[in-house]
Amino acid sequence: MRKLFGIVAFASGLFAQIPVTDPLVVAKCSGCHSKDEKGNLSRISWVRSAPEGWQQAIKRMVRLHGVSLKPEEARKVVQYLSDQHGLAPEEAKPGIYYFEKRHLDQEKYPEVVRDACVSCHPYGQAMNWRRDAKEWDLLVNMHIGFFPVVEWNSFRGMQRGPAGPPVPGADTRTPVEKAIEQMKTDFPLETKEWAAWTASRRQAKLAGRWLLSASQPGKGRFTGEVTIEPGASPNEWVTRSTMTSIESGQTITREGKSALYTGYSWRGRSGANTNAVREVMMVSRDQSMIEGRWFWGAYDEFGYDVKLVRTEDRPVILATSVTALRAGKTTTFQILGDQFPTGLTVGDLDLGAGITIKRLGRQTQSTLIEVEVEVAEKAPLGPRDLAVKRTVAAGAIAVYDTVDYIKTASDTAIARLGGGSTAFNKGYMQFEAIGFNRGLDGKPNTPDDINLGPVKAEWSLEEFFAVYGDDDVQYVGTIDKSGYFTPSIEGPNPKRKFSRNNYGDVWAVATYKGEDAAKPKDGSPITAKCYLVVTVPQYMRWDQPEVAQ
Amino acid sequence: MRHLRAINKKARRIDDLQTATDGDVVAMQQNANAAQRPHYPMGCSIVFSPGWEVDSSGGTAGLCQPVERDLYDCYISCYWPAQVPDHLNNYPEWTSKCAAATKDWRNIDLVFP
Repeated sequence: MRKLFGIVAFASGLFAQIPVTDPLVVAKCSGCHSKDEKGNLSRISWVRSAPEGWQQAIKRMVRLHGVSLKPEEARKVVQYLSDQHGLAPEEAKPGIYYFEKRHLDQEKYPEVVRDACVSCHPYGQAMNWRRDAKEWDLLVNMHIGFFPVVEWNSFRGMQRGPAGPPVPGADTRTPVEKAIEQMKTDFPLETKEWAAWTASRRQAKLAGRWLLSASQPGKGRFTGEVTIEPGASPNEWVTRSTMTSIESGQTITREGKSALYTGYSWRGRSGANTNAVREVMMVSRDQSMIEGRWFWGAYDEFGYDVKLVRTEDRPVILATSVTALRAGKTTTFQILGDQFPTGLTVGDLDLGAGITIKRLGRQTQSTLIEVEVEVAEKAPLGPRDLAVKRTVAAGAIAVYDTVDYIKTASDTAIARLGGGSTAFNKGYMQFEAIGFNRGLDGKPNTPDDINLGPVKAEWSLEEFFAVYGDDDVQYVGTIDKSGYFTPSIEGPNPKRKFSRNNYGDVWAVATYKGEDAAKPKDGSPITAKCYLVVTVPQYMRWDQPEVAQ
Repeated sequence: MRHLRAINKKARRIDDLQTATDGDVVAMQQNANAAQRPHYPMGCSIVFSPGWEVDSSGGTAGLCQPVERDLYDCYISCYWPAQVPDHLNNYPEWTSKCAAATKDWRNIDLVFP
């Protein structure tokens, strides 16, 4: 009977609301958010979000509704609300790109929200919230109250002039009505993920030594380690990290601090001056891995994809200094990792058929193996597992004969004009080209093609013809050979017609001339293009850096 | 015509220009069979939406020229509330240091909502 009652209650959302028990939150919020007999505060108890969501809401309350909070009080309120009214890891994962400030080619969202939601802001702004049905309706009202123009330019669709009588049976709902129905279905307050997470979550125990592997577009890969120690409170952590570039050998050391929300959401800062980064990561459920992005730059456009794995008493392969080996060649490369056993011999390493391990370098550290391999002329092409005794890195290295084509890391890119004042800095763009081999079927651009990793292409800009007499390429900025784009200054440019800004859309073109490049019959080099939009500065920065303080 | 192939440098350049001016931007289609829509990259900058930062074709040719001309209109009418601070509720003081946009546009600051 009790079980049945539980199921009914769950399904009806009867107990979905979350009472607010923290005295500080009650004291600061209950002046406006009335408290009911069960301890629920109006609105707040029917809403869940990520730390950035709560931070944004609190800043709005301060800006518009007269809340006064000291910084340390705001931190406590955000911590409490993120912990108790947060998202489960499975709920946070699809929208984490929004907080990691990732460059996306295009967001994924249901078509039905295109007009009402994403015509103004990214879907990430909406999908990191969970609300009950009434709260989703109230969110619509909030938008209309604060920004009345949305009714006309997005919520009701851009209809001009009187509409004819509706076609019988047609869906006459407005875009916002359709979108909000989708939200109610996709992002309800009560979910089995949140129920499971609140039932099983436990205090995170992150202290210890973690191995780091990272990559940065245009700069290659990094390995290193992070030591995490407990901070001032159970949700704070102190870090020391070192990371060494495989490409340049340069080591960067950082000291930092992080807050942990909802038991898994890592929001940290580390490093100083030009090495300062913000860290947004998620701790895996078993607390053995932490993954995310460390970023910096005026538009957070620079960043490492970072993965930390907890050290255990066993060898780990983190990276190899090459990602591809050419058939018919002898190559020396490094295997980076941790706790490699001493006294390794050539027989302990394996890279599969056609690859002979010729020689191992003198092993001076347990984190590095230097190895010389010979790849047979007719070695089968494709990704290979790298085995060091019983430790295996799946698909670590690819065998290829020629680089048949290259692709840019993304199809589109964005840079921002700036640098004319301290408020508006330039938004840079670092391009990267990835090499591909045609694969087993011998045809390029098919699913079996082999990704060879980043290649050293030479970059240039080309006009993207959008209008007659298009001249954007002369104004937008410059790109260096390595693919680093520096945009021009913001503001009207008297030299352009109508004093246009230096904005424009151009192609960033990568040309690969390596000796392993395939030679097309017409003798042209291998190229790839990325559509680059160089646009105006941003006047609003939807960013909540406070969550990492 | 599709069986003709450019054989010398000049012909190839004409070919390239033709493709660049008339051709579809195939690389930007996620799915070749899907209805083609303008493609809006979502940058690291997070807010990147058609109309304010790119035009309805996904480019910049249709933006205000220069964009500073459009600032007051958007600010006063709250037209791009996610891109330009709004006068109505959130940032009534945003342009207080900018008496005339044509001269003082550099005085306006960015906000962190």
